[in-house]
Amino acid sequence: MKQRAALPKPGAFRRLRPAEPASHTQLHAFGGQRHTSITVIALAVPLAPSRLPTYTLNMETLPASQAPTRGVMGMARFLALVLLGALVGGVAAFLAAGFVSAVLWLNEALLISPRSRMMFDHPGLLLAATIAVPALGGLVVGLLHRGIPEGRPHTPADVIAAVQTRRGRLPARAGGLSALSALVSLGAGASVGQYGPLVHLGATLGSLGTRLLRLGRSEDNITIACGVAAAIATAFNAPLAGIVFAHEVVLRHYALRAFAPIAAAAIVGHVIASQVLARGALFHVTDTAVPHPWEFALFLAIGGLGALVAGAYMRAILGVARLAGRLPLGPTLRPAAAGALLGVTALWVPDILGIGQETLRFATIAGAYGSGELLVVLALKIAATALCLGLGFSGGVFSPALVIGTLFGALCGSLVGELGALPADTFVFYAVCGMVAVTAPVIGAPLTSLLIVFELTGSYALTTAALASVTLASPIAAQLFGRSLFDIQLRARGLDLSAGRGRALLQGTPVGDYLTRDCVTLSPTTPVAAAMARLGQARHGEAYVVDARGRYRGCVTLADLEATRAARDGPPTVGAVATSERPVLHPATSLWSAMVALQEVTGEALPVVDETDGETFLGVVFEAHIARAYLAHSDALRREEHGTV
Amino acid sequence: MAPSSRHRGVAGALLLGLTLGLAAPGAGQETAPTLTVLSWGGAYERAQREAWFEPFTAATGIPVEAARYDGGLGALRRAVASGEVPWDVIDMTRTEAMAACEEGLLEPLSPALLAPAPDGTPPRQDFLPDSFGRCAITHTLFATVVAYRRDAFPGQRPTSIADLFDQRRFPGPRALQRTPAVNLEWALLSYRVPHEELYRLLSTRRGLALALARLDSLDEIRWWEGGEEPPEMLIAGEVVMASGYNGRFFDAMINRDAPIEILWDGQVQEHETWVIPRGSRHPEAARDFIRFTTTTERLAELARRIPYGPARRSATRQVTTHPETGLDMRLHIPTHPLNAERAIVKDEAWYARTLGRIRDYFRDWLAARPEP
Repeated sequence: MKQRAALPKPGAFRRLRPAEPASHTQLHAFGGQRHTSITVIALAVPLAPSRLPTYTLNMETLPASQAPTRGVMGMARFLALVLLGALVGGVAAFLAAGFVSAVLWLNEALLISPRSRMMFDHPGLLLAATIAVPALGGLVVGLLHRGIPEGRPHTPADVIAAVQTRRGRLPARAGGLSALSALVSLGAGASVGQYGPLVHLGATLGSLGTRLLRLGRSEDNITIACGVAAAIATAFNAPLAGIVFAHEVVLRHYALRAFAPIAAAAIVGHVIASQVLARGALFHVTDTAVPHPWEFALFLAIGGLGALVAGAYMRAILGVARLAGRLPLGPTLRPAAAGALLGVTALWVPDILGIGQETLRFATIAGAYGSGELLVVLALKIAATALCLGLGFSGGVFSPALVIGTLFGALCGSLVGELGALPADTFVFYAVCGMVAVTAPVIGAPLTSLLIVFELTGSYALTTAALASVTLASPIAAQLFGRSLFDIQLRARGLDLSAGRGRALLQGTPVGDYLTRDCVTLSPTTPVAAAMARLGQARHGEAYVVDARGRYRGCVTLADLEATRAARDGPPTVGAVATSERPVLHPATSLWSAMVALQEVTGEALPVVDETDGETFLGVVFEAHIARAYLAHSDALRREEHGTV
Repeated sequence: MAPSSRHRGVAGALLLGLTLGLAAPGAGQETAPTLTVLSWGGAYERAQREAWFEPFTAATGIPVEAARYDGGLGALRRAVASGEVPWDVIDMTRTEAMAACEEGLLEPLSPALLAPAPDGTPPRQDFLPDSFGRCAITHTLFATVVAYRRDAFPGQRPTSIADLFDQRRFPGPRALQRTPAVNLEWALLSYRVPHEELYRLLSTRRGLALALARLDSLDEIRWWEGGEEPPEMLIAGEVVMASGYNGRFFDAMINRDAPIEILWDGQVQEHETWVIPRGSRHPEAARDFIRFTTTTERLAELARRIPYGPARRSATRQVTTHPETGLDMRLHIPTHPLNAERAIVKDEAWYARTLGRIRDYFRDWLAARPEP
């Protein structure tokens, strides 16, 4: 661990400990490089009266590459980063375009797409293929997932976790296998999305780029975001949506330093998309159609209801995943079972098969479905997607959400139409409002959803209607269910991003990284006077009592020992003086928990014991180290989020 | 009239004839081989004779004899089976050429035999996409379009194919071809679906039902079968809008002064190709003929006489005026960029596999439709 190596030895830091606040000259003397001390002063001012300023003196624990550099070198470094972003974007865009084309090709070849099903004139064989293709595809997917350590495909949630905890470094092998299994899933007609795999593929590529060039964490996060932006820009042919998605969902902050490389990646993706992937716009609207003012109230209401549909969709996916564990089927066979079930259902309702582009299109046409049909297809599509994703198919949640949302919007539109005089030319507004109301909460990205509508339709009227709908949808779903499906999944895996990135970061850092044995340990039988002498020699105020078998038996402070000696009739050895009131930590305890524990404690350090037996003494973590680690993390975040270049 | 271009044309033809003569010495030794070209007759054949057959004979000394057919592969099948194939080159729609090629009725035809454009652009870049099949080379494109009476809708005119189904703004009876093809595409397009998705959507029961529902919404449809009928119905005022072949509508506008206008939105283009039947007696001369007629200059000359779009981009740019009326022909050919902007690319592979079922479906619908 870099940060551990860079930490000064406690001895070294103790020499700085004398309580006088450090002057600025001292800061220069100790702080080394000029720019570091500037940051430190800025940091120190609000915290001034305490001893903290002295602790921050040795703050240049960050690798040099993360320190902002100004002037010509800084400019060159920044431009290189933009160039790297464009490069990552280009490769990600080509991969994304190839992925999309490969899915389309597979759908044609495997009799999933309606066109190929129509052209295949053997009803019996078609029936067999409808069941066999998703089932066999599921089998292949199940086998592929055995090559991934977690036994499950990696998704955008893993990307978010990597960036939010600043661990970066998405594994290339798991990323490649996930993309491959997603390709098989989508190609074989599973009801899953294609954008999630594309986002993860782009992110893996970005991470790989930084790793090859041996760049730092911040660069890693930026190139991951570049890959993500390029994938979205290519797949939707919507560069603005790509840029905003990378910020809104992956980075979750806005930094000028990150913006330029991400924008470069998105532009490259857009250019490649418009050359390679010629696709029709998602929606067409008549120029004349403008909704009535009162219809905006309906769009708001669709937003509120859409949040519930989004919640049902997310709950269904998570619920099936939970139930899957109780099935008498191994994880390898589960996708095959889901595929067979999907195929059988698709014999009656072929609309649920695959990505569902045709279903999406029909849902935007007034009169293509009756209200009853819409309800059935809506429910079945939710069930099919939950089944496929829950039982281990690899794929995204966005494309099915698009279909589900549009069906839901169409349902609202046709109900309104049945109630009163609704002109058919605003029907598409309802479909789009429903679409945004469901997709925005699922991926936790209201702005991206709006921009996708705007960039795909070029219609301002439609975008404003979607805005009305998302206004209620996103906050209601966030209150009831969580910021996004990704966040809910991560919370279930132990990463809570609801309180922001700073806390997640501290929760993700174990105190083991700051463990030291440079403390005074005493045997329980040590006499009090000897113990005081030892502490005086070592210039520590506390000692930890460890018995002959290495078990932690409590801690004593110099003050306790002094009091015992003054009382005369007190116990003669430290074993009797030691208290075990002080909380103990395990090496895996997070920095966040350690800070919470410290609120109850006044003292130098917290003892760390082995997690398995709960008593073997491993060492201590100094309070000062915890505070310093906190400041280092905050500072790194601040640089990343507020640094300009 | 453009005399300079005419002179250039003759000079070019002579030059080409010389090179062909040098390149194929065997051609002169045969006892005056006559090249038999099977084509569609009528105004089309007349234009072909002027623009292609006569200059070819002038350049090579090989006389060209035209035979006439109305499409279909039956005669070709019988001829190939008997071993007596009376034709050397056939003018065939691409759909039929694809089918005939699969049946082994045609000689393979390599695009390598084609001449480059005058500026040196190789044929692969000069010809429109999908012009080369295994046995067929596209020479021209014709279109099925909607035409309307200029005087039927005072103050406004149809601008989009959806207007064909908009009886509120454009009232009056319509004439449509008694086939599912083209009608289904237009009907679905009127729901404003993107062109790229047409055949994907028509592949679903829902898509077909939507298309037929749109056709059903028209109060009065007059169904036509022969290509000459729709201009007649328009001229007689029996209908206000009609689908039909762009060449026929043009002919009615020029030669009969019909008050009609073509709506290019949603035009469905089809390729006319050259093919050499298996067992042709003069395959070498046939290849020379194909090379000669598909040069930029010859294609442009044909398009001056009948408004069928040249398969070459370079030829489209060189199309000038109608030789007799002096009318600017560029505005009347389907491949002109202004006209082709929103053309439908017919999915011929889709039709090749589904036509039977689609036709049955369409016939059932027709039978269930109450007669007006």
